[in-house]
Amino acid sequence: MLEVAHLSVQYGKHRAVDGAALAVGKAEIVVILGGNGGGKSSLLKAIAGLQPPVAGASAMLDGRELVGLPAHLIVEAGLALVPEGRGIFGDLTVRENLLLGAFARRARAGEAQNRARVLALFPRLAERLEQTARTMSGGEQQMVAIGRALMSAPGILLLDEPSLGLSPLLCGELFRALERIRGDGISVLLVEQNAKRSLAIADRGYLIENGRIVGSGIAADLARDPAVQRAYLGAARPG
Amino acid sequence: MLLEVTLQGVTLGGMYALVAMGLTLQYGVARIMNLSYGELLIAAAFAALSFYSGLALSPLLGLLIVPPLAFVLSYAIYRILLQPLVRRAKTREALEVDSILATFGMLFVIQGIMLALFGGAYFSYSYLSFPLQIAGATVAANRLLALVLAVVIGVGLYLALTRTRLGTAVRAVAVDPVAAQLVAIDVRTASALAFALGGALVAAAGVLVSMFLTFNANLGVVFTLKALIVVIMGGVGNLLGALIAGLILGLVENYVAVFVDPGLTLAATYAIFLIVLLVRPQGLLGRAGR
Repeated sequence: MLEVAHLSVQYGKHRAVDGAALAVGKAEIVVILGGNGGGKSSLLKAIAGLQPPVAGASAMLDGRELVGLPAHLIVEAGLALVPEGRGIFGDLTVRENLLLGAFARRARAGEAQNRARVLALFPRLAERLEQTARTMSGGEQQMVAIGRALMSAPGILLLDEPSLGLSPLLCGELFRALERIRGDGISVLLVEQNAKRSLAIADRGYLIENGRIVGSGIAADLARDPAVQRAYLGAARPG
Repeated sequence: MLLEVTLQGVTLGGMYALVAMGLTLQYGVARIMNLSYGELLIAAAFAALSFYSGLALSPLLGLLIVPPLAFVLSYAIYRILLQPLVRRAKTREALEVDSILATFGMLFVIQGIMLALFGGAYFSYSYLSFPLQIAGATVAANRLLALVLAVVIGVGLYLALTRTRLGTAVRAVAVDPVAAQLVAIDVRTASALAFALGGALVAAAGVLVSMFLTFNANLGVVFTLKALIVVIMGGVGNLLGALIAGLILGLVENYVAVFVDPGLTLAATYAIFLIVLLVRPQGLLGRAGR
């Protein structure tokens, strides 16, 4: 599905991502775990076309090279990003956010079904269609962001710390939604600090530190790995 | 008397509203602070005048010809002259400075061409200049027609921007250009189209203005300033705000000119502007996406 290789991101002299390589299979949930400033957001932005990577990088989606494409064409190719801070249109209504989600040409044919699927996934959005997005709670805004991304009929969904700032209850709801999205045949690549919850739903995981991928494995194995437990699942960090 | 003055004020306000809606598209969506904006209005007025007195074409036909021409011209100006500035600007503030300087230069180019062609004299032409009686008030037919057309164009644009996916996409670029890319909107093309649409709007206003006002080649800056005031009063990027603020400004100007002193018109304009800035710096309706 998605295969990333030799991907580096540089800001001036600071190398935020250093030669990252990863793969996400069809209908698979893959989580990238790492601390703050580890280069996770830069990695996702580079894949989505918001940040140009250092020359030599490759990101193939179903055999098609994404690196070098402008961001709007990457969405057309079937990759949707829910960025850090959600990136919804705060001044527009929920209805308008979802309408714009299906702006991509690839999304037009199945728009009605996708809309029904999104509203079934997040019934609260159906009640709040006319509400201005910025006036909603953090959890509801995250639903708008994910719903909008799903409206573009993606083959793969990228999420940058979706659980940030959500209550444990909403967190659970969010991760259950991601499982249902996988059930619809959509791949999910998410970056998280909430290791316990994300490893519980993920198929596989990668560990990123100072811009380098330092480990990877089956999610269940990672959850049992003592080194991972020390770094990401410590008692001081209840998940 | 009061009704007559009100009708005149509403007509003028309708022009201001149209002009402000166009500037909101250029500034809010394409992020270009266009100081040569009013020159395009005057150029369109001269075009309508030439069509009418030279070719005996009615301004209504001019309204079908001039705005599309202005659309094409503005699109070309954006792609050739302004997009390089957008591309190299690191921040929105840097782009603002660059675009102000570039369009300030454009102002003198367009104005110079008009001065060379028409000189500095005032022009007007007589089209539908017979009086009409409405509820006891007398109003020139051309003013009434201009008002009706301004309403049709303004409402049409508002509906197109709020009720269609393409219009919503244009507003989305104003709200968040980065997020717009994430829903597959080609922000550069959308910006060029918004800039061109703004140019078409101000040209339409120019044709309408030429039907009932006298104008000369130096008058453009007046409309640029009024448009700026209306945009800031209504709330940057807020189309309904521009509509309301435009009407208020037109009404107040006319009331002051007739009932107080014509010399105080500009003073009244800026007094309202200052009051709005002091009391509601975000504009009457606030900075919003509609």
